[in-house]
Amino acid sequence: MTVLRDYATALSQPTLTGAPARYDEVVAPDGSLRASWKGLAELAVQITPGDLSRLDAEIRRFLNNDGVTYARPGEDAGPWQLDPMPLVISAAEWEPLEVGLAQRAELLNAILIDLYGDQRLLREGILPPEVVFGHSGFARPMARAATRDQRPLVIAAADLGRNAEGEWTVLSDRAQAPSGIGYAIENRRVISQVLPELYREAGLHRVRPFLSAFRSALMASAEVEVADPRVVVLSPGTHSETSYDQANVAASLGFPLVRGSDLVVRQGRVFLREYAGTLEQVDVILRRVDASWSDPLELRADSQLGVPGLSEAVRRGTVRIVNGLGAGVLENPGLVPFLPAASEALLGESLRLPTVATWWCGEPDGLDHVLGNLDEVAVRAIDRPATDLSNDLTADLSSLSLDEVREQVRAHPHRYVGQERLALSQAPSWSAATGLEPRPLTLRTFTLRSGSTYRPMVGGLASTQGTSAGDLGAVSKDVWVLKASRDEADLDRAEVLTLAAVQARPAVVPRALDDLFWFGRYTERAEDTLRLLLAAHVLSEDYLTRPHSAGGQATTVMLDALARLTGIASTGDVDRHLRAILLDTNQPGAVAQSVTALRDCAQGVRDQLSLDIWKAFGSYDRASWELVRHEHSYQVSESAGRMLNATMAVHGVTANMMRDEGWRMIRIGGWLERGLQVTSLLRLVVGRRGLDTDRIVLNQTLLAADSSITHRRRYRGYVRPRTVLDLMLADPENPRSLTFALTELRRHLSTLKASTGATRPERLLDELLEECRQADPTTLVALDGETRPHLVKHLDQVNRQLVRLSDAIETQHFETGPRMRPLGLMESR
Amino acid sequence: MKYRVWHRTTYTYDEPVTDSLGVGHMTPRSLPWQHVSGDEVTVEPMPADLSHETDYYGNRMTYFQVTQPHTELRVTATADVESLAPTYDPAALAQPWENAAPVGRRDVPTAWQAVDFALQSSKVAHSDGARAYGAGSLVPGRPLADAVTDLMHRIYTDFDYETGATSVTSTVDDVLSKRAGVCQDFAHLTLACLRTHGVAARYVSGYLATTPPPGRERIVGADASHAWVAVWLPGSAGWLAVDPTNDQWVNDRYVTAAWGRDYADVSPLKGVIFSDATKSTLSVEVDVAPLP
Repeated sequence: MTVLRDYATALSQPTLTGAPARYDEVVAPDGSLRASWKGLAELAVQITPGDLSRLDAEIRRFLNNDGVTYARPGEDAGPWQLDPMPLVISAAEWEPLEVGLAQRAELLNAILIDLYGDQRLLREGILPPEVVFGHSGFARPMARAATRDQRPLVIAAADLGRNAEGEWTVLSDRAQAPSGIGYAIENRRVISQVLPELYREAGLHRVRPFLSAFRSALMASAEVEVADPRVVVLSPGTHSETSYDQANVAASLGFPLVRGSDLVVRQGRVFLREYAGTLEQVDVILRRVDASWSDPLELRADSQLGVPGLSEAVRRGTVRIVNGLGAGVLENPGLVPFLPAASEALLGESLRLPTVATWWCGEPDGLDHVLGNLDEVAVRAIDRPATDLSNDLTADLSSLSLDEVREQVRAHPHRYVGQERLALSQAPSWSAATGLEPRPLTLRTFTLRSGSTYRPMVGGLASTQGTSAGDLGAVSKDVWVLKASRDEADLDRAEVLTLAAVQARPAVVPRALDDLFWFGRYTERAEDTLRLLLAAHVLSEDYLTRPHSAGGQATTVMLDALARLTGIASTGDVDRHLRAILLDTNQPGAVAQSVTALRDCAQGVRDQLSLDIWKAFGSYDRASWELVRHEHSYQVSESAGRMLNATMAVHGVTANMMRDEGWRMIRIGGWLERGLQVTSLLRLVVGRRGLDTDRIVLNQTLLAADSSITHRRRYRGYVRPRTVLDLMLADPENPRSLTFALTELRRHLSTLKASTGATRPERLLDELLEECRQADPTTLVALDGETRPHLVKHLDQVNRQLVRLSDAIETQHFETGPRMRPLGLMESR
Repeated sequence: MKYRVWHRTTYTYDEPVTDSLGVGHMTPRSLPWQHVSGDEVTVEPMPADLSHETDYYGNRMTYFQVTQPHTELRVTATADVESLAPTYDPAALAQPWENAAPVGRRDVPTAWQAVDFALQSSKVAHSDGARAYGAGSLVPGRPLADAVTDLMHRIYTDFDYETGATSVTSTVDDVLSKRAGVCQDFAHLTLACLRTHGVAARYVSGYLATTPPPGRERIVGADASHAWVAVWLPGSAGWLAVDPTNDQWVNDRYVTAAWGRDYADVSPLKGVIFSDATKSTLSVEVDVAPLP
């Protein structure tokens, strides 16, 4: 049996629950396939549960390899979820939807122009003023006579559901800073790779042309005619819920991903803080920071995510923000009952797309209806509460009893609406536990301003099993819009092609350089720790049962060194100790912490890195999961080995980067960390404990420093402290030596654009190099009892100098000035 | 009366500020009963950017940015103001206070604009306490001017003027429980009492000319910026301006600077600095000097 047939059969069984009849996306009431699926029938009906299970696993691997994540508010980022079964929409079904979405965006744009301009809708009573003035998205600093933006809405998103009749119905509009385009693009990329036959056969619209159109629309948004406008994507940072989406959009569009602190206002214009203190004017900002957080001067004063003066720059018309800072007022279910009248008034057209039935409680009839049907309607606040209001107006009333809801609504009726609970359509959705099951589905669409009209992405982002419409934490589906005929073009816009050829210039902001510097440091740290751990693990496997042998003592030395370097104390159980070092995400020095931090850095500069980097993280993750899953001791070395391979893969990716400032910063971070690691390690292992023990310790140290083979070739396997020190400290040809690392560091520092030959980092490093040259190997290796005091002193000195050097590099190259704070640090009056 | 209004705000910091951006509402707005001339705002050190605008509520707004390092920022606004005591339409004052609730009033053409001042705002949350307190004056059917005057008088009587009793982050409920505050607090409280009953009322910030005690010289700079409220008078162009801090209707000794929903819309000076400073001291000097 095939899954689709099973699914259809199960649907035709009468249910006892009396659940509402839902429209099924695949199977018609008579058990036949829907028109949209008929063309795919031949291939689709052959799919077996085994196929879907395999596809599901493959999708997970692809998504993991690309580092696709979503973080529910207040939680750590988790993997993005994608169902193998796409939502398929036929050309005939799509056409009215497309027209309706375009009209809706046109209307929403017109409403924005009106609300921030003439306010005719309010004056003529078409919109109740409470719905606008009482909404936190109504940005008064943007409502000025001088602000006459005729295109405040460039990208509109909507969440839709199908009612029982199969009619697409808008559930909510998203205009503030719509998310999901990056996910939609990625979903398509993955699905087209795991379902190539079906994808080829389907004859569906591609979604990538939408990106070109988006790029064109953003560049065309520049206020003034600029030949090559500078466009940036403003993100709240790597810890936001949809940071992957933001980064993927930026990378796909070829525009730099920046944060508020990367931008600065001067003379009422917005500038990107470029490297070495230069400023470059920004013409267009694709905003992914909510408007209220975008300007601490005139909007929320407590925001650290914004750019002070941004509102003023917008008012002066020196920068365009997409969407405009006032667009949030459209995310407002209180508008819904009045949209048909607004459409007649502003467009002279009747509204095409139906919106879910909504009753605004600010009107007596609406209030009566909602209070009289509290168990049937969903009560929603018109906005998320402004957080500085002292009384709690929860947007989500689901946790309240009906009496409490009634009380809230009665107290502030204009702040609430009741909405029909739509019996959403269902679509087959795969889960390993239950197989293919019907799940309620919503669809997010993206509509873009293109020239003087609006056009939706021919596709979108569907989600099932969500807790609310458009819940990005749910299981997503790719959306296939079929072409009417095979040879239909994907997008028929000439302007897309003309602008797509423009090469976006890379931008290197100090914050991104900082991320790249630490990217280099964490990669090296993870690698060195893994090598040391592997060297210690081999020993412990051999000598665990013989603790008093020379090998046993050497094991203790190596494990102690590992404990000291990672800050994770030995618990007596070697296996658990090593696992903790591999898996602890909080302890600085632990491998998982280094990789987590590394990944954060990579996320911050995602727009500048090859996608291959995420594959490396993907294989690291799998090694990590395997380690958690399997308790055998050999899994430690197995997983650590694969993690080491992943760090090698990271090196491989950086080896093929453009030789720009960013790449140099990675290398500077890497060489500096190597210097730190080699001095820290030597410091812990060069004491005297007995000839046999020392020999084993030194051998494993060479192994940990990837220098065993070199040593063997050069010194014929005769390991003495002096030979190890020669190779690991002074050897100018061994890339693992301190001297080599410092020489490379010096070379890279001097090739930086800001180098003068005498910047503080360069001077510090010159002193350090001189100190190392003057260190006499014979003196260093000299013993005093069980220790080598000169060596220890030297290594400590070098280590301290390197830490100082790192600080100096941070100050010299990444600092963008003091912190942002309110005018009066301690408000008084 | 004619006055020269002089308003100086000085911030001093313990470490240099490299960049300072500010928005001010210090310059009095022109009104039918208030003529403003010779107005000027100076910022020291010399700002790299300075512009004068009109905000959403029609107030005069100043935007500036100082980009040279400084440890002292001084913003001085001056203006000559000729003000008359506002006059009101007696019929508008005599109508029942319930008429001043604009929500749903399709019959009054300006009601939709007044709605902005009837909803709760960031510094004036609708509290049950304010509603209950307001009910003492807003007796059903009572003439608007009576009800508002009574509310003003009760607040003046029941609450102590006390600097330090509250801070800029204090809420209406804090003021109600402390029974003390400053002019901003009394204005916010009055607004909360009125708005919880649906009445539209504005927060007004401005200046009040003070008279020295008999036989004493006027002390320059000892005045303060002031705040009061203005209540919507449907059917007339005016808003009834009352001062709960001084238990009187606004007269020709009051200079209106700006109005909004509450202090947050029209704070005389707010801003953002870039600095490692950990301490700042603020000094505000205001002088409202009578002109011949």
